[in-house]
Amino acid sequence: MIEMIAALIGGVFYGLIIGIIPAAGATTGLVALFGVISYFAHEPYLGVVFLMAVVAASTTGDSFTAILLGIPGANSAAATMVDGFPLAQQGRASYAISAAVTTSTVNGLLWGCLVFLLLPWYTNLLMILGIPELWAFTVLALATVGFVSTRFWFRSLCAITLGIFLGMVGVDPNTNEPRYTLGWFYLEDSIQIMPVVAGLFAIPELVYGLLTKSRTATIVKSEVLEGMRVVWQNRWLGLRGGFIGAFIGLLPGLGGAMADWMAYGSAVASNPNERFGNGNIKGVIGPEGANNAQKATSMIPTVLFGIPGASFAAVLMSLFMYLNFELGTPDIALDTEFFTSMTFGFLGATILVAFLCIFLIKPISYITSVPYKYYFPVLLTLIVWTAMQYTGGWEDLAMLAIFSALGFFCKYYKFSRPALLIGFILSDKIEKLSIQMLALYDIDSLIVRPIFLILVLCILGIFTYSFIKKGKIDYA
Amino acid sequence: MLKILTTLAVLLGFSTTAVADYTFIVPQKPGGGTSVWAQIVATEMEKYLDEKIVIKHIRGARDIPGFNKFHNELQNDPKTIMVSHGGNGVSFLNEKVDYNYADYESVGLMNLNIIVASRKDHNPYSGTTKTAFAAGSGMIPEGIAMTLLKCGSALSTEQYIACFKRKVNWVKGMSGGERRLAFKRGELDGTRENPAAFKKHVQPTIDKGIAGLWFHHGILQADGTHADDPNYPGYQMEKLFYAANRTQPEGDLYAAYKLVKSFRDGMQKALWVGKGNPNKAKLIAALKQVATNTESVSAVEKKVGKYQWLIGEAGDAHRDTLMKLITPEALSTLVKFNNEAFGIKAVYKDTLVAQK
Repeated sequence: MIEMIAALIGGVFYGLIIGIIPAAGATTGLVALFGVISYFAHEPYLGVVFLMAVVAASTTGDSFTAILLGIPGANSAAATMVDGFPLAQQGRASYAISAAVTTSTVNGLLWGCLVFLLLPWYTNLLMILGIPELWAFTVLALATVGFVSTRFWFRSLCAITLGIFLGMVGVDPNTNEPRYTLGWFYLEDSIQIMPVVAGLFAIPELVYGLLTKSRTATIVKSEVLEGMRVVWQNRWLGLRGGFIGAFIGLLPGLGGAMADWMAYGSAVASNPNERFGNGNIKGVIGPEGANNAQKATSMIPTVLFGIPGASFAAVLMSLFMYLNFELGTPDIALDTEFFTSMTFGFLGATILVAFLCIFLIKPISYITSVPYKYYFPVLLTLIVWTAMQYTGGWEDLAMLAIFSALGFFCKYYKFSRPALLIGFILSDKIEKLSIQMLALYDIDSLIVRPIFLILVLCILGIFTYSFIKKGKIDYA
Repeated sequence: MLKILTTLAVLLGFSTTAVADYTFIVPQKPGGGTSVWAQIVATEMEKYLDEKIVIKHIRGARDIPGFNKFHNELQNDPKTIMVSHGGNGVSFLNEKVDYNYADYESVGLMNLNIIVASRKDHNPYSGTTKTAFAAGSGMIPEGIAMTLLKCGSALSTEQYIACFKRKVNWVKGMSGGERRLAFKRGELDGTRENPAAFKKHVQPTIDKGIAGLWFHHGILQADGTHADDPNYPGYQMEKLFYAANRTQPEGDLYAAYKLVKSFRDGMQKALWVGKGNPNKAKLIAALKQVATNTESVSAVEKKVGKYQWLIGEAGDAHRDTLMKLITPEALSTLVKFNNEAFGIKAVYKDTLVAQK
C-alpha cells in the first residue's frame, strides 16, 4: 500500500509539472515516459497507478498557466483561458483557479466513479452511434465557434476559415496527394498541434507581457473560498460541462479540446445576457467541468476495446502494453487488480491534486505579481522544448515561429484565436468523417437515423443562434 | 521503490539518451504498433546484451523521414539500429524515398501474415453489392486480393481496375481504431489485422457468429512462393482463388499482389544496421537468445502473433528473395493499380528493377 501511495504521489507531482508546462498536457507528459516505463516492469500495477495519476494531475494542472498567464497548459485548457486569464489580470487569479480546480475535481470524481457503472452498457451505445452521428457531433462542436467569435464578425470568420485551411494542410485523404504543403515534405504529416497552441497563445502572451507591463496583476486578495462557492452557485453549469466532456470522451477519437469548447459554448449560450471573454467565471466553470470528465470516460473505449478515446489514451494504451497489459482483451476485463489500480490512480490523484492545488492556490497565484522578466526565460525554454517534441529538428522551431507571428497578428488585430484553434482542430476530423459518411450512407439511410437528425437540427439551431447573438466575447 | 525514485529523477531530467548504449530508430510516433514492438524487443535484447537500448522516434509523413534519416545520416553509426515495418516496404515500392533495403544488413526480421475477415451479413462474392473496406496504402494487398477473388481469372489490368471500382467500396480517411469500430458496427463489410490484433479485435465477432474468416495472404518462403498459414489453414488467397476458378492466379496483377504483400508482410518488423557494423554479431547473438527464450518469445508473440524470426544471414537472404520479386511487369502494374484503382499516388522507379 505504501508503494501504491508513493507511485500516486510521484504521478501527481510529475503530472502537475507537466500540466503547468505551457502547451504540454497529458499526451506530451506520457510520451516523455516511454524511455523509463520499463522501470515499472516488475511492479506493473504500480505503473498503472503512476500513469493514471499523471493523467488526472496534468488535466487539473493545465488550467494554472491558462488562468495565471494566458498560456494554455494543454490545447484543451485554451477554453478555460478565455475567461480565466482576464480574471487573473483583474487580480482574481485565486478565485478563478479555485473555481477551476473545484469543478475539475467534482467532475473527475463523479465521472471517474460512473465509468465503472457505464461499462456494461457502453457496447450498446457504441453500436447506436455510427459515423453519421460522430460527424454530427464534430460539426456541432464547430458550431460553437460562433460563441467564441469577437464582435468583429468578419475577422472571426477569417480566423475560422484560416483555422480550417491550416487543419487541411497535409495529405488529401481523397486523392492521397500532398495538399497545401508548398512542396515541404515536413507538412505532409499535417501541422502539429503543439506549435500551433504554443505559437498562437503562449508566445504572444509572454512577449506581450514582457514588453508592455512588468507583471500580470497585483493580487487584491485571496478568494479561494469564493471560488468554491461560485461553483456551488453554478453547479448545474459545471455538471453540464462534465456531462458534455463525459459524452465526448466515450466517443473514440473526438478528443478533449472539442469537449471543452462545446462546454464553453454551452456556458455562453445559456447566459445570453452576460458578456464573456472579459473575466466571467462561468466561462471557467463550464470547460473545466468537461476536461476531467472527458479523461475519465475516454478510458472506457480504451480499456474495453483497445480503441483509444483520445490522443492521450493512445499513448497510455501503449505504455500499458509495455507493462504487459493488453487493453481490449478479455484478460484485461477480468483483471480486477488492474481496474483497482486504475481507479485508485485516477480518483486518488484527483483528490490529492485538489488538496495540493487548494493549498497552493494562494502562493501560486502570486506568480501574477512576479515580474515577467524573471520567468520569461524559463517558460520560453519549456515552450520551445514542448514544440520540439515532434521531430526535434529546425522545422519544429520554424512552425513555432510562424504560429507565434500569427498569434501576435491575431492578438493585435483582434482576429479570434480560439476560433482559429477550433477550426484547426476540427477541420481534419470533419473532412475525414464526411468522406466516410458519404461513402457508406446515402440520403435514404441517413434520414432513418433519429439521433443524427436531432443533431443536425441542433447544429442548424446553434449556428443560427450563435451568429445572430449579440454581445460577442471580448477575448481574441 | 528505489527504481521508482530513480524513474522520477530521470523523468524530471526529461532525458534518457545519456544512458543509452544503442539507439533504435523508430520511424513513427510513440504508441504506434512498431513503436510498441520495438520497445518489447529492446527490453528483451537488453537482457542478453547487458547494455541499454533507447528508442528514438523520428516521425513524419507515412513514416518515411525516419528511415530516410537513418539512410542518409545514421547508418554508419555503429550504435544505431533501424526498426522498419511493413508500411516502409510499401513506400519503398511506390514512392520516392532515399532508403534502400539492399544497402543494409539484417539483424533480424519477422515474416508475418495478415488475416482478413468479412461480416456474415455480407456476401463478398455477390454481383450486386459492393464490399465496404477501409482504404489506405496499408490496405493495398487486401485491395488487390479482393479484386482477384471477386473478379476471377484472366482479366487485363484495365478490366481488373474497372471490376474493383464496381465491386469494392474503398472507404477513405479511416484510422485503425475507426476501422475496427466501423466493422463491429457493420458499417464496413471487411477488415484486416495481424494475427495478434486479429485475435483481439476480430475473433470476438467471429465467436459471436457476426463475422467469419475471409482470406489471408500466406507466409513468404525462401523460394519466393507463399505457404498456407498453419494458424488459419485453408484460407490462403491462392487456395480460395483456385477453389473458385479451378486455376491458379497468374498474370501481372497477381505478380503485383505477390510483390506488395511480400514487401509489407515479409518484412513486417525488421531490424537493420549499416554494412560492416562492428556490433552486428553481438546484436545478432542477443536477438537469437530473444528468439529462443520462452519468456522473451512470449512477450514478442503477444504483440504480433506466433511467427518465426529470420536472424542475421537468414534475414539478408529473405531480403534478397524479396528483391527478386521486383519485375518491370509487377512494379508497373502495382503503380498503375495504385494510381487508377485505389487513388494512391505512386511512382514507377526503374532504379528498383535495375538493382534487383
